[in-house]
Amino acid sequence: MKRINRRAVLKGTIFGGTVVIGLPMLEAMLPAKGAAQANGAPKRIVFWFTANGTRQDLWSPPSNMDLGNHPLHAAMAPFSSKLIFLDGVDQSVAYDSIGDGHQTGMACLLTNAEILPGDLFCEGNCDAGNEKYVGWGGGQSVDQYLAGEIQKDVLTKFKSLELGVQVKSSSVWSRMSYAGPDTPVPPREDPNQNFVDLFSDLDTDPFALRAIQRRRRSILDAVMEDYDQLERRLGFDDKQRLEKHAQSIRDLERRLEVTTTFGEACTTPELELPGGSFEQNDVYPLTGRAQMDMLAMALACDLTRVASLQWSRSVSNVRFSWVPQVLNEGHHGLSHYDDSDPGAQSDLLEINKWYSEQFAYLLGLMDGVQEGDNTLLDNSVVVWVNELGKGNTHTRRDIPFVLAGGCQGYLRTGQHIDFGGEPHGKLLVSLTHAMGKPVDTFGVSQYSQGPLSGLAR
Amino acid sequence: MTAYRIKWLALAATAAISGCTGLVGDNGEQAVNDSVAKSLCVVDTPLRRLTRFEYNNTVRDLLGDTTRPADVLPPEEEVAGFDNQAAALTSSDLLIEQYMKVAEDVSARAVGNLSGLLAGCDPALDGADVCALSFIESFAKRAFRRPVSQSEVQRFRALFDWAMTDPDLGRFEDGIEVVIEAALQSPSFLYRPELGAETPLEGDVVPFTSWEMATKLSYMLWNTMPDAELFAAAEADALRSKEQIAAQASRMLEDDKARDLIRNFHTQWLLLTHIDSVSKDTSTYPSYRPALNSLWKEEIQTFTEHVILEGEGSLETLLTASYTFVNEDLASFYGDDVLETVAGPELRRVDVDPNRRAGFLTSAGLMATQANANQSSPVFRGKFVREQLMCDTLPPPPNDLVIEPPQLDPTKTTKEQFEEIGANAACAGCHNLMNPIGFIFEHYDGIGQWRDQQNGKAIDATGEVIQTDDVDGFYDGAVELAEALANSTQVQECVASQWFRFAYNRTVTADDTCSIDQLNQAFADSGFNIKQLLVALTQTNAFLYRRAVPQEPETTGGAL
Repeated sequence: MKRINRRAVLKGTIFGGTVVIGLPMLEAMLPAKGAAQANGAPKRIVFWFTANGTRQDLWSPPSNMDLGNHPLHAAMAPFSSKLIFLDGVDQSVAYDSIGDGHQTGMACLLTNAEILPGDLFCEGNCDAGNEKYVGWGGGQSVDQYLAGEIQKDVLTKFKSLELGVQVKSSSVWSRMSYAGPDTPVPPREDPNQNFVDLFSDLDTDPFALRAIQRRRRSILDAVMEDYDQLERRLGFDDKQRLEKHAQSIRDLERRLEVTTTFGEACTTPELELPGGSFEQNDVYPLTGRAQMDMLAMALACDLTRVASLQWSRSVSNVRFSWVPQVLNEGHHGLSHYDDSDPGAQSDLLEINKWYSEQFAYLLGLMDGVQEGDNTLLDNSVVVWVNELGKGNTHTRRDIPFVLAGGCQGYLRTGQHIDFGGEPHGKLLVSLTHAMGKPVDTFGVSQYSQGPLSGLAR
Repeated sequence: MTAYRIKWLALAATAAISGCTGLVGDNGEQAVNDSVAKSLCVVDTPLRRLTRFEYNNTVRDLLGDTTRPADVLPPEEEVAGFDNQAAALTSSDLLIEQYMKVAEDVSARAVGNLSGLLAGCDPALDGADVCALSFIESFAKRAFRRPVSQSEVQRFRALFDWAMTDPDLGRFEDGIEVVIEAALQSPSFLYRPELGAETPLEGDVVPFTSWEMATKLSYMLWNTMPDAELFAAAEADALRSKEQIAAQASRMLEDDKARDLIRNFHTQWLLLTHIDSVSKDTSTYPSYRPALNSLWKEEIQTFTEHVILEGEGSLETLLTASYTFVNEDLASFYGDDVLETVAGPELRRVDVDPNRRAGFLTSAGLMATQANANQSSPVFRGKFVREQLMCDTLPPPPNDLVIEPPQLDPTKTTKEQFEEIGANAACAGCHNLMNPIGFIFEHYDGIGQWRDQQNGKAIDATGEVIQTDDVDGFYDGAVELAEALANSTQVQECVASQWFRFAYNRTVTADDTCSIDQLNQAFADSGFNIKQLLVALTQTNAFLYRRAVPQEPETTGGAL
């Protein structure tokens, strides 16, 4: 049997433009059905990022958690019993760290670690002699920690899945996920490529798939020898750099033969792909929608148990041209007007409301996937994070955190808690507990002494 | 300065190990080497990964693949606008996965032209083994940009043989395909290891081998792999003297491939990398349409390429020329500023109103990217001049300060609104360094079109430049400012250091002082000619030499 270049076939179709794809699942591909379900569906965690803070004055839910008339979160009303709103949780570590408001807000967000000194990214203050540059984030992020721990139990096709919507550049302002200090993890930003990377295995002939795996293994084995040979000749810094690369190859090799474990709902998703225009401002909603569709299906297929979806980046200046009420100015620009400016405040309301609608869309997808008695959403926790509390002050206090899904009953959902200034490191600790991979502290221990109280049942 | 700190830590660690085990050198020898290296301005040359741009160019020249396959890779880490800074380029699981897939696509396409790859060898006539071996030897040498070892040839040979026996492969072209696929994932292809020759010049300062020099020149001046002539010079070991290297550099700058360098540098230096996603408010700017973005970029790229490679070539011309390149659409966008009639889609050189336009500085692309969606931005424009042209570093706003940009006030000009910011003491310290420079550009609106009035009031394009080495003073309009910038030593040295960073893929360090002096002197001697600056970049000690890679002691464990 000859190799079928499945990807080439798919690409030819996809890059031609917008296309709806729905492929029948091949019966031959089905392993013993419900292997995962037999032992209970796995827990999953998803981080969901939006930028530039929110309307803090409007953000809290009413005490009865009825969101139906909420100015920001009305779209999330159907899920209110599955949500927790966290008031009064601060990125305390960001105030110790070097770096500007957006840099620290972003790099500390999932790491609870201070930014590394370095000469990469411009920063400083008006006094001469102070630090003017910073490096990357200074610790492993909680998603990557959890991904590493979960892989000790089970090897999924992707260790973790980072998806981005028009993140574009790569800098300390645009990375929240870190494999370790100084090691940012880039998101997958092209939905067209993403579709191929995630789902092409599902409709490739299993024999052809095995041939591809065998071929890749042989090639990577040969390549590894080159890395070993070169590393021996390098100095300290370069050796470390190349070793990270080599480690990724070893990890890729390990995953080559992992086959998808199908949940009941797992199939190649039907979705609208944006084609080559996925980075254009006005295509932002369509790109985001495609990424959400694929994210939900990737979880349903158990391709990974740890994922993130990052909308733009800190200092996002996306122009919400598709929301008729919003003035034609970028998000970051708008976020800097004074609280008393009615036009800008109304625009920020519309922008954050739109993000709530997108959040509700993802929750709807996940809640629509039945896994035994639970839904995928019930088996997961989706964590809405933001680098700031509010844009015009760059405050990293009172970050608008929302948790969705109970993580298999671990979380006491359907409530709003005001923590009155607890450090966000404790939230990260809570998430490790929720996922069954508990740690006592995460990142800077001073700001992560145990979990937040009141979240767990 | 992290790179430095890490380096010194590494040396300290080496010294500690040797101190414990007594295996290598002594601290006295290390100190001598340090002072020699410092006095010669020689530092480490970091291992560099190909950028997507370089990868695309390299497979074009290696295999004739013009599909820009690396565009799907994750974006490079950007450090102050440049995407090729070795210290910032990290690897990730995603990158490595995509390298594999890109290599599969490229190699599959490559064997579509099998006879071209085999250069006359016919497996049916000459034997599959013979053709495979000759392909491996010639291809690997070009892919790795150096002679390959017997063990490397054997490794590829073993892979070829594996493919011939695999039940799903088995054809001759399958074997060639997997060899290419593996080579494209090797660190010898993806990275540029420039470890230096074995014999030191002095202390632990080593020159580069001719093969390494061919690669250094090629990626620096062409952003791609060496051509046949560079390879031949390397083969003849004829890239050792400064004269040989300068002669190659001069030749290379006459080649069309140098256009990539000029376009790539100016796109990044002038912060146009993301110009394609610029989006303007059409109610404020009815003449704006998204198709302008790529035209704006093309104008600046064509202009800088022309001035440097075909024109007079000086920094002054780049900043002050009263000509540019437009097509019919762009000419109508610029209106009266363009003094000639232009027809058709091709960009061509035209004279522009010298009272309104000056070089790239006032180009629509630059003015539009340094602006908001619905108004000009004196802050962005002032910051651009400060940081990109004068190499000042401006601090971000302090923590927790309410930052309020002026609202669109239909009764005031943008300048009047922004002047209110300057009056706020908390902001003034920094904004007085930026805003007044930005005011000088107020004749250009948020999409870079000329205006004499705003909101019924006459434009006031005066501003005071302060705290510079040699540009302080009042200016009325950007044409006047451009003239001053072109003759400023601070700007000239800044441009040289921007090229240093871009060309050497690293920041300027304290140990580069004498190389920077060499560069500034050569730039001045040439009348600030950019092409001569590029040749001079191949003549500094920082380019010609490196510190030898410290040999790690054979630790027997437990030393730390």
